[in-house]
Amino acid sequence: MANSGVQQHSGGYGHGQHAGMWVFPDAEQVTGDVAGKTFALPSGYKLALGAAAVLTVLGVIGFLLKLSGGGFANPGPWGYYVGVFSFIFMVTGAAPLVACAFRFTKSHWRRPVSRVAELFAVVGVVNLIIFIPLMLAMPPIYNPESPGSDALAQQRELGNAAECCLPGTTDLEVRRTLWFGVPVGGHHLWDWLGLLGLAVCGMALLWLSARPDLAQARLTATGFRRAFYGLMAGGWYGTKKQWNAQKAGLALLGAWYFMLLVFVQFLFVTDYAMSMVPGWKDSVLPPMYTVMSFQSALSMILVILFLMRRKGGYANYIGKAPFWSASKILLGLTLLWTYHLFAFFITYWYGRLEHEENIIRYVFTQPYLILFLGNFVFSFVAPFLTLIWNPVRRSDWGPTLAGCFALFGALLFNLRTFNAAFNTGEHFEFALTRVPAAVWPNFADVFIILGGLGLVALVYLLAAKVVPLMSIWEVKEGAKYQKMDTLIKGEYLVLAKPE
Amino acid sequence: MQEGRVLSTREVNRDLLRSILDSPRWFWPVVTVLGLILLVAAIAIGIMVNRGLGVTGLNRPVAWGFFITNFVFWIGISHAGVMLSAILRLAKAEWRRPATRAAEVLTLFSLMTAMIMPIIHTGRPWRILYWAFPYDFARGIWPNIRTPLVWDPSAILTYLTSSTLFVIIALIPDFAVLRDHTTGIAHRVYGVLAMGWEGNARQWKLQIIAGVLLSALILPVFVSVHSIVSWDFGMAVTVKSWHSTVFAPYFVVGAVHSGVSAVAFVLILLRWCYGWQDYIRHEHIDALGRLLIVVATGWFYFLVMELLFGMYGRETDELAVRQLQFTQWPYNAWFIVFVVTTYFIPVILWLSRTWRRNLWIMSIACISVNIGMWLERYLIIVPGLTNKQVFTFVWAEYAPQPIEILIVGATFALVTTLMLLFSRVFPLVPLYDVKEGDILKTQMQVGRRTVPATFRED
Repeated sequence: MANSGVQQHSGGYGHGQHAGMWVFPDAEQVTGDVAGKTFALPSGYKLALGAAAVLTVLGVIGFLLKLSGGGFANPGPWGYYVGVFSFIFMVTGAAPLVACAFRFTKSHWRRPVSRVAELFAVVGVVNLIIFIPLMLAMPPIYNPESPGSDALAQQRELGNAAECCLPGTTDLEVRRTLWFGVPVGGHHLWDWLGLLGLAVCGMALLWLSARPDLAQARLTATGFRRAFYGLMAGGWYGTKKQWNAQKAGLALLGAWYFMLLVFVQFLFVTDYAMSMVPGWKDSVLPPMYTVMSFQSALSMILVILFLMRRKGGYANYIGKAPFWSASKILLGLTLLWTYHLFAFFITYWYGRLEHEENIIRYVFTQPYLILFLGNFVFSFVAPFLTLIWNPVRRSDWGPTLAGCFALFGALLFNLRTFNAAFNTGEHFEFALTRVPAAVWPNFADVFIILGGLGLVALVYLLAAKVVPLMSIWEVKEGAKYQKMDTLIKGEYLVLAKPE
Repeated sequence: MQEGRVLSTREVNRDLLRSILDSPRWFWPVVTVLGLILLVAAIAIGIMVNRGLGVTGLNRPVAWGFFITNFVFWIGISHAGVMLSAILRLAKAEWRRPATRAAEVLTLFSLMTAMIMPIIHTGRPWRILYWAFPYDFARGIWPNIRTPLVWDPSAILTYLTSSTLFVIIALIPDFAVLRDHTTGIAHRVYGVLAMGWEGNARQWKLQIIAGVLLSALILPVFVSVHSIVSWDFGMAVTVKSWHSTVFAPYFVVGAVHSGVSAVAFVLILLRWCYGWQDYIRHEHIDALGRLLIVVATGWFYFLVMELLFGMYGRETDELAVRQLQFTQWPYNAWFIVFVVTTYFIPVILWLSRTWRRNLWIMSIACISVNIGMWLERYLIIVPGLTNKQVFTFVWAEYAPQPIEILIVGATFALVTTLMLLFSRVFPLVPLYDVKEGDILKTQMQVGRRTVPATFRED
């Protein structure tokens, strides 16, 4: 054994402040053990499934209540729906990227994290479905009160095409939008196609990554499962050519997924938040949204890792190293999000332009102040104060706690931003000239929020019973590339760098 | 992948101290030529001070031109030091080791050069005192502390101070080596600078802790410096194309892009000039190339955000600036050159591993980035001010005059001279860092292959 002569401490390797930091699972036993855990259905798991199903049903009830209360005639009542959709999309869309990014940087600690992250790709299909009501609730880009009159043509000829207000009003003919006009299919179809692209790319990533593990499952499963895994493994025999193709495929798909995700997030946050608030022109909002999506996705993964380590029987696969390494990145992302928020805030605040001040008042400091403060505290203050302490970062509970804070902060961010945007009222005004009142959630909204979260949990829990939560091939590979060894008087981790 | 062989302490000392103990033949002639360029630039500045800013192309409404462009450019270059030293140190990237010192020193000298530019730009350099002191005690006119133009010097001076500390802390073990390899006055000077360094366990521990703490503390300063420079523009609501919320992160990422490219080029030059092939290896340049692909793509994303949201508002003033940038000669031509040289040429070159390891191609890519990044700042500043606005009754186009071009060109000579003089007295590749890296190198048996490996504490 590579670690001969080095003692194991506290359920893992490492000493002193690094006690329990690293685990080196026995490569010979990984396949059988993980397969056993995948197919088992312990009572805790059943309970979680049941709770998620109940929440999903509540969500459906909330949706039906909302539908019967006025349909899609007015976007305002769908504010919390779009908020919770955005939260789900933010977390689950970015999660597969965590696997891609750390695979790209060849970080060994990623190995137990990869599949947990990639499995969120299945939620991409859910996103596609729950996005459809939003397309119906969105107001059109083209002002329905526009007469399409000659007066508008005259204004264009006079050189006012840029602002292009309707005669005698401050309303725009086409509300401010990325699309600079009305594309075929509105922007809804294109946004949905973006989500479709992400879902397909995410599923392809998951399949490509899980293929070796599915091939292993094919060998041990029986009956229908055997046929299913045989089909999904797609003739995988682990030849060198197949491994090379898989490696190249994962890199290419990962890069493509990254670019697509950033693009779709940019489209979504601009179309469904910024474009709905008159005069909100904020070029840092899409990057801020993307940074927050990375922060919340990593947080969600840490929470799942913690549960797997403490409750799921995966302690032999998940040491403290993933928490320690991910926590530093989480701290960085937390600071980065705050930096983007500050960049927005100071530019608007210092500029003292009336419509920009109104936007600050509306979305941040007046009707939704409580949501903003909650968002700020849970997205920045609490995770920051948790993660600055080395001993806390070295534990498994510390980064998880910070992750819980960040997730709650992200939920508040989405509810505040998107609900405010959908309830602005005059979406076609040139600038925000007043501060609209806050709209707080009713029972249907609460059901929808809980239902959305429950649906994601349900789908994820079901998917985890089909595809192993542990990337078996990566864990096995990691066992060969890491060991403990002695240097001078101390024992340290040795990492192989074959490439 | 680790390349190169593990070198003995004696070899490391001999090779890396060569630039100090035995200066090459080309050294003084090159420094003399650079000195002459600086002399000519000093004369040009003297003429400008004597005759006034009328000798430049500055006018109403284009009050900021080449000098401020160059100021932003050099501030950008200064971001290399922290990116490579602090961030990669915290990330424990092994390949950072030979690059850190050059990056930190480039930070210092580019910051100093940047600070000179606004002083020259005033046309009356002594008036810089008004920045810190009241114009007139009797009338109580004080500098407006609410303007980013006053935040700037505070941030830059803080960055300069912390970067200097960073360099000194990292130099202490190397000062001790120099002390032990010199005699006479040099021995005494290096002895004082080494501050009694003996290399015992306690001293190493303190030095490492100081390095890590400074790395963490300097990060907010690093981000704030270019953010504040961006707010020199972003806070101005009258120039529509400047009032953009994305400016701060866009400027910071752009600064890292140009700074790291500059460091890669400096490393290639050092390798060539001083024969440091065993220290600055292809793997290091390759790693910088890979890092730069990510940084460049991040920067490109911010550029797209900045341009798209410039047009998103459909506001006449801002569209007019964009029209200047995209359609009017010569800005349109410069714009194409800017985007192609900053992103497309270098990234296409960096995508190939073979090209990343070709030092000529890497040099071209890195120079290309910096040409583009200089143009970027020019295209932000000048068209924004050139755009005709209401209640401004005098307009003129800006055309840089020879005196501005000469002074701006001389700043490159200044930084080169300072780097060369530094290399004459202090090692530009950290000896202790290289030695530590060699100690941590090992090998591991994976199946039938023996692969390179590294010891990691965490």
